[in-house]
Amino acid sequence: MWAVFKKELKSYFLSPIGYVAIGLFLLVFSLFFYLTTISIRAVDLGNLYFNTARYGLLVIVPIITMRMFAEERKNGTEQLLLTSPKSITGIVFGKFFAAVALIAMTLVISLIYYVILCFFQAPNIVPTLVMILGFLLLSMAAISLGMFASSITENQVIAAIITIVFLVVPWFLPNLGEAFTIIDLMSSYQKFPAGLISVKEVVNLLSFAAVFILITIIIMQRRKSVK
Amino acid sequence: MPEGTPLYTELTVREFVNYMADLKSVKAKEKKQAVERVISETGLKNVENKLIRNLSRGYKQRVSLAGALVGNPDVIILDEPTVGLDPKQITEIRSLIKNLGKNHTVILSSHILSEVSQICERVIIINNGKIVAIDTPENLESKTEEKDIIIVTVEDPKNNMDNLKNTISEIQEVKLLKDNEDGTKQYQITSSSGVDLRKKLFETLPKQEIVILELKKNESTLEDAFIKLINNTTEQNENVEPEKDKEILKKEKEEKKQAKKQEKLSKKQAKKEQKEKNKKGGEK
Repeated sequence: MWAVFKKELKSYFLSPIGYVAIGLFLLVFSLFFYLTTISIRAVDLGNLYFNTARYGLLVIVPIITMRMFAEERKNGTEQLLLTSPKSITGIVFGKFFAAVALIAMTLVISLIYYVILCFFQAPNIVPTLVMILGFLLLSMAAISLGMFASSITENQVIAAIITIVFLVVPWFLPNLGEAFTIIDLMSSYQKFPAGLISVKEVVNLLSFAAVFILITIIIMQRRKSVK
Repeated sequence: MPEGTPLYTELTVREFVNYMADLKSVKAKEKKQAVERVISETGLKNVENKLIRNLSRGYKQRVSLAGALVGNPDVIILDEPTVGLDPKQITEIRSLIKNLGKNHTVILSSHILSEVSQICERVIIINNGKIVAIDTPENLESKTEEKDIIIVTVEDPKNNMDNLKNTISEIQEVKLLKDNEDGTKQYQITSSSGVDLRKKLFETLPKQEIVILELKKNESTLEDAFIKLINNTTEQNENVEPEKDKEILKKEKEEKKQAKKQEKLSKKQAKKEQKEKNKKGGEK
């Protein structure tokens, strides 16, 4: 897992993707920082993280996950991975955590906004860290979804579209019925922005991630045995 | 080493080989040395810090080979390693493979048969998923030679070649292959089997006032052997198999039935024995 993780993380920064993703992410952050705090003179970062999670992840996650397996399959480098003695589980987790690490880096940079607010009135640091933790869990769930989309196709664009559709469609499902709220990832990011850790939300996000990681592992395992 | 050399083109050669070493779980202590050895073995030393994307096809092929070699595997499987290379690169890769053959078992799949006869020690010809022949290339070549055929190019102003059959009794057939513009002619001479006529021809032809310009045995190549073997098997399949198949299928079915019967019988017996044992146990 470690070898794949290292190489994947390096690959993000050898191609423009890593820089583009972080740059776009920070752009969205800054935009909402202005809208949710500066313009209304609030010292609460909750809205910042909530809105960035809602709209930022929609753009960033497909960018960093679409190439994961689709590119390898298209270039044939998948063969190198599948024929190596490393386990599929290790490979999938290596790739997964490389993407998570990329988002974690951005989140560390996002502490800038906390520092800026400190010039006016320092918000409590603990709730901010909780928001960031929740954000990380949320992006793990979204990344697992994107990874799954990438593993079922060799076309990166299709992988990206599948991810976006899966992320956007649940927004409108609650209008059809209350039961659909569970599918919406954002419904599990309601208490975090207030600085609260809710067991329900944590379990929701982690199990969501686990399910899609598992499906990805199964798909790759199948590809290995079929080949 | 897969066909089409799939590589991570955004990495440098050294990074790629390092990654492959990691993937193959080469121990951290031996890794540096292993990577170094493979890079020098495949002649990549002068491009080790270049991006794979910018390398020529021959070098990419070598990088792929280096990736396959790192970790010192016992068996190396190469799928068409010289496809799409220029002649110089081909000879380089070939000599590399030959060197590898000293320490590893190399399995090479290729459609270029001249290459196979040059490099390989043993050849397996597979047709439609069935093994047609396993042998050394030399044996395969000599096996398919049916008759001793000699090709001569001569200068023959008096047309004495036509009478050659009468002077040498072993000759079965003299066939004119080519009538060249400079007055020379190329003939194909077939002798009765097992006789090498070259010496005799060399002695007798000058007496007939025929000048020999070229005299050679028609050597069959691996390609001829391949075509012959493949043709033979497909013909056999077409002619014989349908009937045989039915027979074989019938036999197989019967055998299976019998096997099942026997299994049932043996199971019954086993049950009986167990029952008896149980009974005996109960009685005791």
